[in-house]
Amino acid sequence: MSLKSLTRDWEPMSYGFLDGSAKREIRRKMLKAIAVPGCQMPYASREVPMARGWGTGGLQISCTLINPAMRIKVIDQGADDSVNAASIRSFLARVSGAPTTMDTLQADLIQSRHRIPEEMLRADQILVLQVPNPEPLRSVQPNMSIARQMHADADYGRMWLQLYEQIVRSGRVMQGASYPSLVNGRYLMTPSPIPRWDVPKLHMAQHLTILSAGREKRLYAVPPFTRVEPLVFDDVPYRVEDHGHLTCQRSGAKGYFMNEIPQAGGTSTFEVSDSELGVKTIRMAEGESARIGQTWYKDGELVQ
Amino acid sequence: MTAPPTPSDFEAETNATYAALMWALSRPGLIGHLPGTGQAQIITALIDRESAVHCTDPALAAFAARAGAALVDMDAADHVFARDLAQADLLRDLRCGSDLYPEDGATLVINADLSVGTALRLTGPGIDGAVDLSIGGLPDGFWAERARIMRYPMGFEIFLIDGSRVLGLPRSTQIEVL
Amino acid sequence: MAYVATRGGERAIEQSQRLFRAEMGAITPERVAEIRSAMPYLIDRVMGEASLYDEDLAALALAQTGGELYEAILLLRAWRTTQPRLTVADPVTQDSLFTHRRISAAFKDIPGGQVLGPTLDYAHRILATDVLSGQTYHPDPVDPAPQPSPARQPSVAAWQAENGLLAKSLPDATTGNDIPDITREPLLFPAKRAHTLQSLARAETGGVLALGYAAQRGYGQAHPTVNELRLAEADVVVQHPRGTRFSAGRVKVSQAEVVSKQGSELGLGFAATLGWNEVKVIAAATLDLNAAGAPKGSATEEEFFLYHTEGVESSGFCIHFKLPHYVTFQSSLDAMRDAKAKRAAKDKQPEPAE
Repeated sequence: MSLKSLTRDWEPMSYGFLDGSAKREIRRKMLKAIAVPGCQMPYASREVPMARGWGTGGLQISCTLINPAMRIKVIDQGADDSVNAASIRSFLARVSGAPTTMDTLQADLIQSRHRIPEEMLRADQILVLQVPNPEPLRSVQPNMSIARQMHADADYGRMWLQLYEQIVRSGRVMQGASYPSLVNGRYLMTPSPIPRWDVPKLHMAQHLTILSAGREKRLYAVPPFTRVEPLVFDDVPYRVEDHGHLTCQRSGAKGYFMNEIPQAGGTSTFEVSDSELGVKTIRMAEGESARIGQTWYKDGELVQ
Repeated sequence: MTAPPTPSDFEAETNATYAALMWALSRPGLIGHLPGTGQAQIITALIDRESAVHCTDPALAAFAARAGAALVDMDAADHVFARDLAQADLLRDLRCGSDLYPEDGATLVINADLSVGTALRLTGPGIDGAVDLSIGGLPDGFWAERARIMRYPMGFEIFLIDGSRVLGLPRSTQIEVL
Repeated sequence: MAYVATRGGERAIEQSQRLFRAEMGAITPERVAEIRSAMPYLIDRVMGEASLYDEDLAALALAQTGGELYEAILLLRAWRTTQPRLTVADPVTQDSLFTHRRISAAFKDIPGGQVLGPTLDYAHRILATDVLSGQTYHPDPVDPAPQPSPARQPSVAAWQAENGLLAKSLPDATTGNDIPDITREPLLFPAKRAHTLQSLARAETGGVLALGYAAQRGYGQAHPTVNELRLAEADVVVQHPRGTRFSAGRVKVSQAEVVSKQGSELGLGFAATLGWNEVKVIAAATLDLNAAGAPKGSATEEEFFLYHTEGVESSGFCIHFKLPHYVTFQSSLDAMRDAKAKRAAKDKQPEPAE
């Protein structure tokens, strides 16, 4: 026996950065996550060359799935060119040689922080959501081992109580982003800090969504055609952000989730949060070739 | 780090194998295509020294051991590779995990005929409504036994292999024998 | 520069890195060698928290990050991720350690003797300002002891166990690849013993000190006595594929045992880490001592202190709040404004007559 027979040829860096054992562990855990939608699967979560809390969970999923034929899109707050998205995109390209794109329609894999693109994702696309805190029960139970027991018992009473108290106190559910949602009728899940606007995009979607928290070492999944239902009371309907009537002052796009830009003098203007949708809208207005796919919302209303 | 990295053959194959398994499990009822035939490629993509494996085929067991797996009895295995199953009640030996740790449920990889056999209707996550298909080569009572054993979220996953074709059946899929 | 400049992100991040690195100038092999030889305790701390024993790489990480400790440790941990695991070394036993320093606060003298070894404990902390005015500081030479202390000694806890003062710890038969490894599997609670000790070994020194100090001040149930503190070197014994066992080298290690009276026996807390770092192992052993039976959510509960002393995770999460959060903020604003409007509408309605 020789050392050579025990190992593979030395490479300065593994393809996709992660070594084989890290990838195999993530693959095994992803399969279980897909099999039990919404259930948080613990994984080792290796350190990667980015700080914890900066997308290391999503990055490990992307690094595991990536191959030279996979076109990658990375967004942060809906924007392809925000600094952290640019940093993650260039890292993924550097360790894999995979092509990148900003166009949602062209992407095979989309890694995102805090948004789901406005264009409807297809059955062949994978959405990887970066998750800071995977535990929807954290606000009512910070202890992870107790929270895990609550999931095992499907004991979500305290979460319901919290929503009820908000309605009593403030007249509405005060949850902003990360709206707790029931997956496949069994597991309560945080959809990551996407706005309420984006949660319905996960319900019975065509695409596969993998959510991954690197720092907290948990990953979970929403397979295609899976129920994702925000926790609501029968008589207090789920409400997305009141953005349906807003118009992007840069591109003229209307009826999508917007960024509010404060103006001197106390007023605000709005810009469409899905930056590439804005770019394509401008291009089309200027007669350039661009195509906007089918969108989840039309004229500010969710397409049923 | 100047030239764009290219995957080794090993990396490219395991990446493609995993993609086929992942999509098969995400879309139960849609048959996926593995880069090669047989079960060994699945061992290469998933199994290493952190796995406990049971193989009915001695040659495959030796292959899994070389990948680093501990060879164990079926009821201790996280992955079970079987050419076929003598009786359906052997499914009872598969690990189902617990309410606290559903991920401890096993993965069963078994050969089957994905063209002809018992008519089945699948419903559940990953399926747009329902999908009908025929599966053969499994012992009598296989589907009834599967349904009897599993109490969701506890349960096990099944990959049915027919040459290079693969069908994934997560525990979340309800299977009705037509 | 705009925070989210249109199509400007990539250029902006490139230039911001250049600004950071420009201040430190060229990183030469000489600089790395100088850091390594001049700052062994800093190197030790970094290697312990990175759980990667390589003085050159630690020195390089410090040079490359300008001494930004959290960055240096992240750099090493990320590098460690890419390394294959070739083998698992033999367990290091306490009585096999090549001991440089070994003291006990529990007894005036201990079998093998109190070995003070290298320490600043009794130094007067006076800054050698003469160096700044051009005078080199030459440390006084060490006078060797007439009789060297024995290099290998059992632990003090072993003596106490023999004398029925504390429960003999059961030998753990787990070996090699079966030993749970925190870098390859997630931490779950109640934690495996190996995971607890590994987490403490790579915990951030300041974090362990803060929580250990809280326990020592009275937020823990047990008041620690330092049973034994040891700085030593351990042989890394591995097996060659041909079967020969050999020492691949020595690593510096520190370990602490702390004890407290628990009923009619002593309770024992233990911690060890790569490199010489006394504060860390005493604080960590104090946490270990207090963990059993600690109330859920208290600072001495295992889940609490293991999660919150993980330096790479805590520092990363802390600085991640610099990232834009305007989508989540917008989502909250929407809910707040709507709630406010609802309240205003309600206030406008006339009070119903009694």
